[in-house]
Amino acid sequence: MKIFDIIKDANQNLLRNKLRTFLTILAIFIGSFSIISTSAIQAGVNDFIDSQVDSYGGDGYLAIVSQDSFDALEGLQGNMGNNNSPTEYNPEKIQTGMSPITDEQLQKVKQIDGIDADSVVEQKSLSISYVSSDKTEQKYLLSAEALPPGNIKVDLEAGKQLDLRADEYQILLESRYADALGYTTDNIIDQQIHLVVVDEYTQKEKSFDATVVGVIAPGVVSMGQQYVNNKLADDIYAENTKYYPEAVKSQTFALAANYDYEKYSADDIKKSLTEIGLSAMTIQDIIGQIKTFFDVILTVFKLFGFIALLAAAIGIINTLFMSVQERTREIGLDKALGMSSGHVFLSFSLEAIALGFWGSVFGIIVSVIIGNLVNAAFHADGSFLAAFPTFNLVSYTIPDILSVMLLIIVIAFLAGTLPARKAAHKNPIDALRYE
Amino acid sequence: MSKNVILSTRGLRKTYGRGDSRFEALRGINLEIIEGESVAIIGKSGSGKSTLMHLLALLDKPTKGNIALDGENTSKLRQSKLNKLRNKKFGFVFQSFFMNANDSVLNNVMLPLKIAGLGARARRRKAMHALRIVGLDDKAKNKANDLSGGQKQRVCIARAIVNDPEIIFADEPTGNLDSATGEKIINILFRLNREKGITLIIVTHDPELAAKCDRQIRISDGHLASEPSKTPPTQLPPTYYEHNSGDTDADGMLDIMEEQA
Repeated sequence: MKIFDIIKDANQNLLRNKLRTFLTILAIFIGSFSIISTSAIQAGVNDFIDSQVDSYGGDGYLAIVSQDSFDALEGLQGNMGNNNSPTEYNPEKIQTGMSPITDEQLQKVKQIDGIDADSVVEQKSLSISYVSSDKTEQKYLLSAEALPPGNIKVDLEAGKQLDLRADEYQILLESRYADALGYTTDNIIDQQIHLVVVDEYTQKEKSFDATVVGVIAPGVVSMGQQYVNNKLADDIYAENTKYYPEAVKSQTFALAANYDYEKYSADDIKKSLTEIGLSAMTIQDIIGQIKTFFDVILTVFKLFGFIALLAAAIGIINTLFMSVQERTREIGLDKALGMSSGHVFLSFSLEAIALGFWGSVFGIIVSVIIGNLVNAAFHADGSFLAAFPTFNLVSYTIPDILSVMLLIIVIAFLAGTLPARKAAHKNPIDALRYE
Repeated sequence: MSKNVILSTRGLRKTYGRGDSRFEALRGINLEIIEGESVAIIGKSGSGKSTLMHLLALLDKPTKGNIALDGENTSKLRQSKLNKLRNKKFGFVFQSFFMNANDSVLNNVMLPLKIAGLGARARRRKAMHALRIVGLDDKAKNKANDLSGGQKQRVCIARAIVNDPEIIFADEPTGNLDSATGEKIINILFRLNREKGITLIIVTHDPELAAKCDRQIRISDGHLASEPSKTPPTQLPPTYYEHNSGDTDADGMLDIMEEQA
């Protein structure tokens, strides 16, 4: 028998009892819809978080402070509802809550296995008085920092990434600054804006003319932060600290570094840092909580999807068992006329697979339609995602869709094997017996 | 006319169940069936005649003994080979027709060809030819369920001959039909036997039908109750089929067969 004929027959057999087939497919549809929808939401949220993670530092990024600062911070902040006791005052350690990282510690950090010595930089907070442009009289406050080291991609709406080692001054701006400074998201690229630092004593202004190379997409992690390249950061810091004594100028409270995340675990790196009195956070520590929160919710939804699918699988077994029962004589006849047990098995298995296939296809189609409507609705003016044009709440990828289909078809096939085995083992003589 | 032995059995036994519920359906059957002859297997209910037919048709395996088809012992053949043999060499006609009631007549007739893996066009051509032989080519598109009992049995015969079989096994082919319609069916079967040389093996209660066969094999309590008659197939009266010429349908059918012969 030709495989095409078996497939055709399997589909035709499903149409014999349309209501029963419809209800079975409906059950699979519910499971497939739940799973593909939660996958799509998970993918959408993860895409968003990942782009945010990248804008903050990406994989391998370490934010390093002294252990003392970290402990103090936990006590001061109560660590977000964890009810840590307030930190006790210790005159030998710290007075203000932040204790500096010593030069000795800095050198040791550079020697830790797995940390890229060249990537270790001191995090300096920059103080900029205002930003202005040639297009407008208005002046605006602005907060900027040097982009941390590493292979970082800020989520951009327009333009390109910073060249960290460039000799000219470069900046990435949010689009609201583009608008405020008299430009649009697109035409501000390659234009110069003026970052002005006002001398606290002389009131003299020093202007740093920076080229806008890109416009940052709105996000949650980088919100309110503009990024500048190293050259610009160094020069602004030098201007900020020109009256400071050398000892204060060279004080460092925070380091940023990159570690080889493919070869080393974050825990090993953190342990090495703890030994020299430093504490580090990876991007996963910082972002992890948001991700865990979403993951838990979506996993629960996905679980419901699987439960629905399990019920659907039992539906498939039930449907096909009834079908085998009804078609006992037909199966016997087929076998008497020379059909092999293997073909009978295949024919029923294909019916199960067809049920799974149609159920998953309908589930996916309906989910994609609803998902796109939801995305459109949330991006409409005034909706809560209107500020995040790059964020799709629901995101479908071909591999996701195919793997959900494959999963459902495999489950359907496995469910079908029981009735299919029963059918294959039927004795042809049963068909020849008189009623 | 060749006299090859097409089917033969030696010491054929079939036992069902074990221990106390053990039941011997066949207790050592030796017989030979000659190519082209028509044989009636007769006997009371429970005598084992259906069991014998199932074994001869290779639908079941004997407990002991063996069956040779065209001189080849079938007990050693693999299941897939047996399936192929049944598909290519045998045709089946059943008392209760066994058709896929909601399928078209044509699809029912094409079933053995579909199982054999023939292409759609060849299937259609051969099935239409078979339907023409039984005089139902105009009903090809009808639903099988919409036919009368006699027409259904003719569709079954078309299905049985669609693959050009060597042997047709008919299990009470007239059992569900009134006598006039039954007569028509029998005419078709014997016509095929005579003109195409298809061997007929008919299980029946009907003494009249049995008498029309070249010989009768009587089964009683699992034994062969009578010696096979020595009448060779060639000595059948040639006018045999003209006894039942009252039926216009059958006449039409015969005309078609003559045209094709």
